[in-house]
Amino acid sequence: MSIEVQNISYKINNNQILKNVSLTIDQGKICSILGPNGSGKSTLIKIISGDIKPQKGFIFFNDKKLNDISIEDRAKIRSVMSQSQQIFFDFSVREIIEMGWIEENRMYIKSNLNESLQRVANECEISNLVDRKFNSLSGGEQRRVHFARTLIQLYNKIELNNKRFLILDEPTANLDLLHELKLIRKLKEKADEGFGVLIVLHDLNIAYNFSDKIALINNGEIKYKGLPDDIFSEEILTSIYKTTIKVDKKNKRINYY
Amino acid sequence: MKNLIFRYLNFRQILIINLFFLFVTIAFISAVSIGSYDISLKQFFEGNFSDLDNIVFKNIRLPRVLLAAFVGASLSVSGACLQGLFRNPLADPGLIGVSAGAALGAAISIVIGSEIFSSNIFGPYIIPFFAILGSAFVILILFIITNGFKNSGITYMLLAGIAINSLAGVGIGLLTFISDDTELRGLTFWTMGSFGGVKWTIILPAIILMFITIFWTFRFARKLDLIQLGEIEAYRLGVNINKLKFNIIISSAVIVGLGVSLAGMIGFVGLVIPHIVRLVGGVNHNYLLPASALSGAFLMIIADMISRVIIQPAELPVGLITSAIGAPFFLWLIFKLRKS
Repeated sequence: MSIEVQNISYKINNNQILKNVSLTIDQGKICSILGPNGSGKSTLIKIISGDIKPQKGFIFFNDKKLNDISIEDRAKIRSVMSQSQQIFFDFSVREIIEMGWIEENRMYIKSNLNESLQRVANECEISNLVDRKFNSLSGGEQRRVHFARTLIQLYNKIELNNKRFLILDEPTANLDLLHELKLIRKLKEKADEGFGVLIVLHDLNIAYNFSDKIALINNGEIKYKGLPDDIFSEEILTSIYKTTIKVDKKNKRINYY
Repeated sequence: MKNLIFRYLNFRQILIINLFFLFVTIAFISAVSIGSYDISLKQFFEGNFSDLDNIVFKNIRLPRVLLAAFVGASLSVSGACLQGLFRNPLADPGLIGVSAGAALGAAISIVIGSEIFSSNIFGPYIIPFFAILGSAFVILILFIITNGFKNSGITYMLLAGIAINSLAGVGIGLLTFISDDTELRGLTFWTMGSFGGVKWTIILPAIILMFITIFWTFRFARKLDLIQLGEIEAYRLGVNINKLKFNIIISSAVIVGLGVSLAGMIGFVGLVIPHIVRLVGGVNHNYLLPASALSGAFLMIIADMISRVIIQPAELPVGLITSAIGAPFFLWLIFKLRKS
């Protein structure tokens, strides 16, 4: 099972944002999208999530056209984490996480929710934050809460796990080193459980060490895609990022300063 | 079933809702019996009601208190819904011009429509109908100028509200100018707000419609929670945003339009009540909507009771009382928002 992105093109007015983008996101794998600012990464995430429709091309989730999947059903097979907006009212962290909870067949079973909430809070190590107000948290803590919300969305019906996807747009922004690493490791665990993971990253070192597949995007086109070892060459990276980048393949380290 | 009503509520919130229910019941019983003519409920249950008692109770007091309760509940629920939908703590049917739109609709039907409709059997229902149209029209204007509620920043909304309120004011002023004496009396009523002189034939269908609509809005509680994450996030969680907006707009237009057409412009209830309710028990809409309905009903019953007894046997317009409480609260809220 997989997400198939086929020949997507998207433009606003006469401004071509994406051009003939094709990509496969496989089950149980982490696929990272890398590229300079304004290269079209976030737009691609929005199109794959179903927020906006491309003028050309198709998206298939497990061989089913995205357009044919209802809004409710989409929420059951993929969950998306992006740069979030300000929240005006004083919700508690618990309530924010609960917002990710998808009710099964319009049924609400409190014990299931409470159990899942506890589990996800442990998984993301935010149990100590659960009873605090969301707006009193720091930026990094808020990101971790949103991450927990993204995970709890796919907690129901574990038997579906190898048909589901996590889509994340720069999830590690605002996170310190330790929590960045923990979040990425959690994603690795999720991929091992069967989830397909699509992630936009800026940190080349993390992408190198944790991805199964890399897509390098520039000026709205996927210039290179493939295994990390193939993509991370000094020649390719230097041409995309327009600065000298050194790659140490033996230790999987990338140096650009 | 119990799970479906009380879902996502904590113990404290369930307790608060039950307490509010108790308050409403007590306020209702006192308001029915207290007034310029006191009725003893003890006599009612003992069965020795005089004829006068009976008339006052059945034809004056009961419809009046019921209407007050439902108008209070309507304005509060609509305030809570609009604040949630706009993600804006200052949205209030009065401040953003929805009530004014309803009043203008009512005024148009009084002055222009009186000759056309009064002979018709639907005559009494024309004013509420036009009021609903008026409030729906204003929400539609807001929808357009905020680009589908996307640019619903606090300042922008309030400025739009000022403009809409003054436009409606122009309309009502113009209608006042061209109206004759009877029409003028009807018009003056709207600018003040009062629960006096209501008849069962009008309020019974209105109350039923309000009741259904209020309960209907409770179904959107969780979706209103999700939209606080941002429209895109809510959409990704399976909320059909356009449908939700449409439903909230229609229900708000119906309950505010009905409320204004029957009781006139009553300001600040929709702003104050949801805020107090949030301060007491939390911000999730599964709690906020029912608790706002109950406390709005409570506040309005009490305000109406005060308006009846404070300068007996005359009456103070109830809108004056709610504004006297609400306006300082509004100032405090602006002050608080500035600080954060």
